[in-house]
Amino acid sequence: MRTANRVASLLLGTALLVGGAVTAVQAVLLTLHRPTPLDTSGWFDAVSGTRWHDPAVRTVAGGALLLGLALLAAQLRRWTPVRLRADERDGWYLHRRCVERRLADAASAVPGVRRARARLRRHDGQWRPRVRASGDPAARAEIEFAVHKELHRLTAPHPSRVDVRLLPRRRPA
Amino acid sequence: MTNAGHRLLWTIIALLLVAGGAAALAASLGTLPGVDPASLLLSADLIDRWRMTAPWSTLAAAVAGALFALAGQHLLARELRGPGGTLRGTLSQPGRRPGRTRVAADILTDALVRDLTGNPGVRRARVVLTGAPPHPDVWIQVDLTADAPPAGVREHVHAAVRRFAATTQCQPAHLDVTARIEPGRQ
Repeated sequence: MRTANRVASLLLGTALLVGGAVTAVQAVLLTLHRPTPLDTSGWFDAVSGTRWHDPAVRTVAGGALLLGLALLAAQLRRWTPVRLRADERDGWYLHRRCVERRLADAASAVPGVRRARARLRRHDGQWRPRVRASGDPAARAEIEFAVHKELHRLTAPHPSRVDVRLLPRRRPA
Repeated sequence: MTNAGHRLLWTIIALLLVAGGAAALAASLGTLPGVDPASLLLSADLIDRWRMTAPWSTLAAAVAGALFALAGQHLLARELRGPGGTLRGTLSQPGRRPGRTRVAADILTDALVRDLTGNPGVRRARVVLTGAPPHPDVWIQVDLTADAPPAGVREHVHAAVRRFAATTQCQPAHLDVTARIEPGRQ
């Protein structure tokens, strides 16, 4: 969402700059009764011939309403933080994606576990790691131990629990 | 511009879109009082008034266009400049005897970066100073190697900041360190 916002702001800035400059030049030339670079008579005729109950007006208004609601929902929902506070006192943070990759590596290093993926989510003010992997369900305790050990090594806060979801590996036919 | 700034900007734009879209839809469906759904978007009366007030109406449009272009230029400049409020220029300290010590802020941040990367566990470091010079806010990002002990690097970073504060007599008002750790070797 952060990247999308930045790209959208760049596009909005460019559109405002170009659109505003073109409008200003066009309006000045119209004031001076000089020929204008853009012919707006077709657009003007189309708008001045349109009535409020036309389907085109409803489509545009409905589209703007839906786009606004979608944008509002995207901006107001809770974003996953980029970093994880390691300590309340000394301002030390860990990059969340890096920690997730390290936890996935730690889980994958457990014998019998493959394709591990880890996610860190905030839950009741605490960070809760979620690990998904394929392998023997009996390896759950070992994965939890590996995750706790890696978090301790990274000086990250200790979670009260670690969610582990193990999918049994498919046997070859 | 910051993430919070972007979020605020796009929340305002979303609210404007919702308000405008809802008003236009209400007018189109005939539920907005004072607007006849069978009337034209640009009524003949409105067009007459626009023509009667020329050249002021077209000049007003030119000014509005120029203001929009200025707003766009401002937004683009803020996007391309990166985070604002970075300390640049010279830090000036009064001495105990007559005179002042002046040091370029870039040299101080470079010195802190060199001190931070002196630890073999730190592959890269980035330092940004913001706020007022005697007690600046110090923002640090360190990229740690896969085999670096984070606890040791953490102590090294705090020692480097203490050395920075002692050398420059700039005790950080706020310290913020983000550590990025490389994935372990498979």
